[in-house]
Amino acid sequence: MNPIALTWVLVGKDLKIEYRSRQAYLTTVFFALLILVIFNFAFDPGSPATREAAPGILWVALLFPGIIRLNRSFQVEMEEGTLYGLILSPADRGVLFLGKFLANWLFLMVVDLLVLLAFVIVYNFSFSIQLLWIALLIVLSALGFSAVGTLLGAMVSTIRTREVLLPVLLFPIILPIILPAVSGTQEILLAQEIQSLGRSVELLLAFDVIYLAAGFVLFDYVVAD
Amino acid sequence: MSFTWPPDLYFLIMLSPINTSWRLARLYLRIADWSLIPLYFLMVVALYGAFLYAPTEREMGEVQRIFYFHVGAAWNCFLAFFGVFLGGVAYLITRKRSWDHLAASCVEVGVVFTTMVLTTGPIWARPIWNTWWPWGDPRIMTTMVLWLIYVAYLMLRSSLPEGETKYKYCAVFGIIGFLDVPIVWFSIRWWRTIHPVVITSSGAELEPEMIHALFVSVIAMTVLCVTLVMLRMAMRLNSSMAEELTHS
Repeated sequence: MNPIALTWVLVGKDLKIEYRSRQAYLTTVFFALLILVIFNFAFDPGSPATREAAPGILWVALLFPGIIRLNRSFQVEMEEGTLYGLILSPADRGVLFLGKFLANWLFLMVVDLLVLLAFVIVYNFSFSIQLLWIALLIVLSALGFSAVGTLLGAMVSTIRTREVLLPVLLFPIILPIILPAVSGTQEILLAQEIQSLGRSVELLLAFDVIYLAAGFVLFDYVVAD
Repeated sequence: MSFTWPPDLYFLIMLSPINTSWRLARLYLRIADWSLIPLYFLMVVALYGAFLYAPTEREMGEVQRIFYFHVGAAWNCFLAFFGVFLGGVAYLITRKRSWDHLAASCVEVGVVFTTMVLTTGPIWARPIWNTWWPWGDPRIMTTMVLWLIYVAYLMLRSSLPEGETKYKYCAVFGIIGFLDVPIVWFSIRWWRTIHPVVITSSGAELEPEMIHALFVSVIAMTVLCVTLVMLRMAMRLNSSMAEELTHS
């Protein structure tokens, strides 16, 4: 089998597991919804301050629940010992990484777009063509997030305290995603005209390229021999 | 005399007939011991330079003197974290334990120096900028993110059992942590910066006495950094040898 076909087999397998169990994406979306509601309660609901902070709240609601997905990505493999099957298969380690990463990315994009939909409604923004720009920011940041997350998720999957350790390791690394994502969203939602969105996109792209390459190279060292 | 290839730390001391771990540990300790003498001397000179020799800054007053320690620590935390990156890459290529010793020791020392930078910074910033923690400055944010990443590294290290897996994982995390530094830097750079840029490519905007004091202080801090790393590496080598003895 060629590597591309193999990658898609892996992606299809992961997404099928998620689709059939339903547990993961329902919990993830629900957690994100809770964050949106909690922040609305924490600030004065409906006040201008909440609206000002809305872009930041959106990104907290997008990034925190992603941890659930990443933890699950390798946990399901560990439970039945299927990770060893994957490692023993003739597939290259790089293909394994790409398969896992793509499954995580696709999953997060679907969940994130649902959260964006809920966000627009709960925070009273209007549906306009500009939301497509936010969708672009979401797609790019989910890419970087899943690239680092897949690598670190594989790493902590064998550790007893993985649920705590994954966010502790992941969040400092993905801090540079948050800045361009939030300032880009702020511009799209609140500013009169869009000026520096290009810069945000560039930074996210740089992050994505660096960490996708790093993940691809380093994954080999992370999965058990 | 044994020759190992690809080269590891042995290579650096190839000139002496050292080929066993305990001799290597003794060498680290000896380097640390010998650097103590110039270190004491340099520390005294650096203190004299910072508090007595350098003139008081016209606008900032006495509080500016913290600058000599702040800059010395900042330079060394980047040096130490570069050591982590280097040790990580070299470990993954050679699988020699001594590179992991280097990376782990550099993280510990680097975190100490970063903590020093993040403590001296606010003490100076409060009277000068009227705020402890000015958000949005690339240097401050980058240093803080570095601190967070390497404290996370220490947590990862302490939650893994001894073994090759641990050294591999730590090497990987050390590498991806270091890759973050330029991205954090650029993602904050297009915010307004208020951090003073003292040394530019066109030269330093300081009195000559201040430059002398800064120079001695940076050297003293670097010697301190190397000494601490050597001590930690000797400690690690000793404990790994003790482990081998008890398990064999």
